[in-house]
Amino acid sequence: MRCRIGHPILYNPGMKKSTSPKKTPRKRSGTGSSKPWFWRLLIRVSLIGLVLLAGWTVYLDAVVTSRFEGRRFEVPSRVFARPLELYNGASVSAGSLQRELELSGYRAGTSGSAGTYRRSGGRFEIHTRGFRFTDGEEPRRRLSLSIFGDRVQEFAVLEGPSSPIVRLEPAQIGGIYPAHKEDRVLVQLEEVPQLFRNTLMAVEDRQFYDHFGVAPLSIARAMLANIRAGGIVQGGSTLTQQLVKNFFLTRDQTLLRKGNEALMSLLLELHYEKDDILETYINEVYVGQAGTRAIHGFGLASQFYFGESIDDLNSQQIAMLVGLVKGPSYYNPRRHPDRARSRRNLVLGVMADSGLITEQEASRAQGQPLGISAKASYSENRYPAYIDLVRRHLSRDYRQEDLQSEGLRIFTTLNPAIQYAAEFSVSDTLKSMDGRSEGKLESAMVVTSRDSGEVLALVGGRDPQFAGFNRAVDAKRPIGSLVKPFIYLTALQNPDKYTLVTPVEDKAFSLVFDDGRRWEPKNYDEEERGEVPLHRALSRSYNLPAVRVGLNVGIEAVKTTLQNFGVTGGISDYPSMLLGSVSMTPVTVAQIYQGLATSGFNTPLRTIRQVTDAGGEALSRYSLKVDQVADSASVHLVQYAMQEAMQEGTGRSVYRTVPDALTLAGKTGTTDDGRDSWFAGFSGDLLAVSWVGRDDNGPTSLSGATGALPVWARFMSRVPQHGFSPVVPDGVAYHWVNSEQAALTDEGCENARFMPFIVGSEPDIEASCGGSIERRVRGWFEGLFE
Amino acid sequence: MTSKLIRNTVLLAIAGALSACATGPGGGSIYVPADSGETTAPEPPRVGQGSDEPRVVRKSEQPTTERRSPSYQDEGDVLPAAASSLIGKAEKLLASGDAQAAVSQLERAQRIAPRSAEVYFRLSEAYLALGQLGTAEQFTLKGLSLAGNDTSSQRSGWLLMAEIRKARGNVAGADQARERAASL
Repeated sequence: MRCRIGHPILYNPGMKKSTSPKKTPRKRSGTGSSKPWFWRLLIRVSLIGLVLLAGWTVYLDAVVTSRFEGRRFEVPSRVFARPLELYNGASVSAGSLQRELELSGYRAGTSGSAGTYRRSGGRFEIHTRGFRFTDGEEPRRRLSLSIFGDRVQEFAVLEGPSSPIVRLEPAQIGGIYPAHKEDRVLVQLEEVPQLFRNTLMAVEDRQFYDHFGVAPLSIARAMLANIRAGGIVQGGSTLTQQLVKNFFLTRDQTLLRKGNEALMSLLLELHYEKDDILETYINEVYVGQAGTRAIHGFGLASQFYFGESIDDLNSQQIAMLVGLVKGPSYYNPRRHPDRARSRRNLVLGVMADSGLITEQEASRAQGQPLGISAKASYSENRYPAYIDLVRRHLSRDYRQEDLQSEGLRIFTTLNPAIQYAAEFSVSDTLKSMDGRSEGKLESAMVVTSRDSGEVLALVGGRDPQFAGFNRAVDAKRPIGSLVKPFIYLTALQNPDKYTLVTPVEDKAFSLVFDDGRRWEPKNYDEEERGEVPLHRALSRSYNLPAVRVGLNVGIEAVKTTLQNFGVTGGISDYPSMLLGSVSMTPVTVAQIYQGLATSGFNTPLRTIRQVTDAGGEALSRYSLKVDQVADSASVHLVQYAMQEAMQEGTGRSVYRTVPDALTLAGKTGTTDDGRDSWFAGFSGDLLAVSWVGRDDNGPTSLSGATGALPVWARFMSRVPQHGFSPVVPDGVAYHWVNSEQAALTDEGCENARFMPFIVGSEPDIEASCGGSIERRVRGWFEGLFE
Repeated sequence: MTSKLIRNTVLLAIAGALSACATGPGGGSIYVPADSGETTAPEPPRVGQGSDEPRVVRKSEQPTTERRSPSYQDEGDVLPAAASSLIGKAEKLLASGDAQAAVSQLERAQRIAPRSAEVYFRLSEAYLALGQLGTAEQFTLKGLSLAGNDTSSQRSGWLLMAEIRKARGNVAGADQARERAASL
């Protein structure tokens, strides 16, 4: 639908409405006759023609005024990543800082103007562009810092207001577009530099402020050129005509259309100020294409091509944008830099000829490179799964049509570095698993900030760029053993009955239901160990003790715990729920693990910090909220066992990938025949949930430890972060115990563990060192008769 | 056995060195750079580190396993300078009556120092000023859960709690909180 060469083609779906009626007069105006003996008839026809023309003019006038009056550009909403905060100690690797800068369209190693950076090894010098946040402006600055051990050090502001902490402008990561996929950033005429306006007029319409819509001289000149060339090679259109053409008319080059265009231009000029027309033109003009997205207006063009706002453009940038009007595709600076450069230099020549810049300035600028930002500042739909979740969250408070047209700015919590690590871990690990199972393995991953509930990354499938089924949000699968921490938490909330060293039975049993069906749970390894201390039952993920404890505390109580932690869907009442026959999406699992990862505080998961209108005024904030759903003490005990799982239990293979110093806590989950492989766990900073399985729910040879855990471990090893080291809450004390015998013991003893207890629930018997059977038996007898 | 002991000691040293350079004086959670591999070379100890040993406890009570025992710490993390500067900004905003703007700055501080009790107490104060008492109380609880055995931090938390409960009309609860603060 869009013309590639020639004058700007401004495509607007609204014009369909205004163009359809014009077919009617086309038929009528075809009745002219030149037969000399019908003079009287001719006069009559002319009169009728005049009346029709008058009527037509009235009609066109109505079209022009109503369309222009009600002109309201549909401006898509922009979605931004979280801004990177730079300060001494900030956690960022040199590689991810560079990627982050590139994502924001920073250019490397150039002139030193805003939007550029220089890197040598771990040293960075960054010229920020500045950004107006709703809570205050970050002015332009020149920053210097070095990155050592994945941390910012020697942070200094070299130019601009000094501050110990500076936010980079957030990178745009997506948009919510109207159906016609027009993208633009509205600018007001005052924001457009005078040089820009003058250049536009010098190139496209010298007499703009003097003519009344059409410029007969220019038309004559153009016609002459066209006759000479035997076709339309030059348009004598004024800016007004160009605007009319794109606003109201189709692009076919008929005489009738030319007539309409001229008439409407006159009418437009009659009703509106020149400045109004110019401003509309500047916002409407078509200047490029990014995939299916049409780039309109110079406001977006400056960002799209230079990563700059329009008021910051220099003369060669202005020349390039104005030159682009003639043929956005033909002169596309990314695809045809040579054409773009000669066109730009031509415009610079015009600028000098018109006295807008000096000859010296023109020849200096002509020698400059194009300076186009390395790539489009973001590629469309780079993070389809994440944006999908953002849209779902937005739909709670915003209507789709407003999102597509009001130019809202949506500030999300996406952390590009973490997203990058998550995507890599999923796709790379899945590749290495291919062939180990029948059927195609799929995967999903959710990463949140442990204490704030901000969703930092989301992967919806093994091909993260594919905007298809979003498994992170939509794949509801049984969670298997991921439910166990909630069973034991429910138990440990009752310190009189349960502590981490309480012996629990690891023996097979069968349940017979009323309808005669039997249920005989088994351990994953199909063995039985008699009695094991509770902490080990959890860290090794034994099934039999979990079911026994769950039945003892009651399925209802476990359900209540799950609901408190954020499960909203239905939970089965069958005992099989104690082995995880309750289905959840990865995002829901991340939500309920948030409370386990913190000290019992549920933090609603958020993808959005704030939504503002196009002018930057806050419309809604999504603030951090915390809600205590379990007492910190019992959660601390569960966290102990979940750390143990990583060190000695089902998660221990994590340390094949992750550095030893990174303390972690987590839980594996596996469902029957390896249909679902889960891992949910956390460090000091991050909570991550990964899932691996098949879309057709078929069996795999994977368990939580061999499917989801490698993905998770790969991810954790790639992100610099703090280890997990929970603060001991009030009412918890650590003791040296012999956990097998549920007895206090001496620090130096072979089997001594330093374990947390809710004060008062620590063992009241003691086992002495050495661990010889006699001593243990005596200790046990002592305990028995105490 | 001896080699394992040595290994554990080395691990401890690494942990100490890492945490010391990670959060500066006062210790706190251990920062682990990415891709550092399994054989991280110990960093040379930093000058002036000695006075404030990290509080992270890593005792190797399991000589039969190479892995450490689960980790914990007795106090929340110390505020990094960047977070303190944001808290300072928030304080000014709160004093000038713009509690909502203070919340924005405090949320930035929280993202930098999510394991510091103080950030949550400040958030609580801002929400108290906004009249959102339920939210304020929850942030105080969260702060208290990170106060550990830092009595002055606990005391500020319980005093704040008393104030919030009083504002909520919970006189008995407020008295309890005040007694709790006084007993520290």
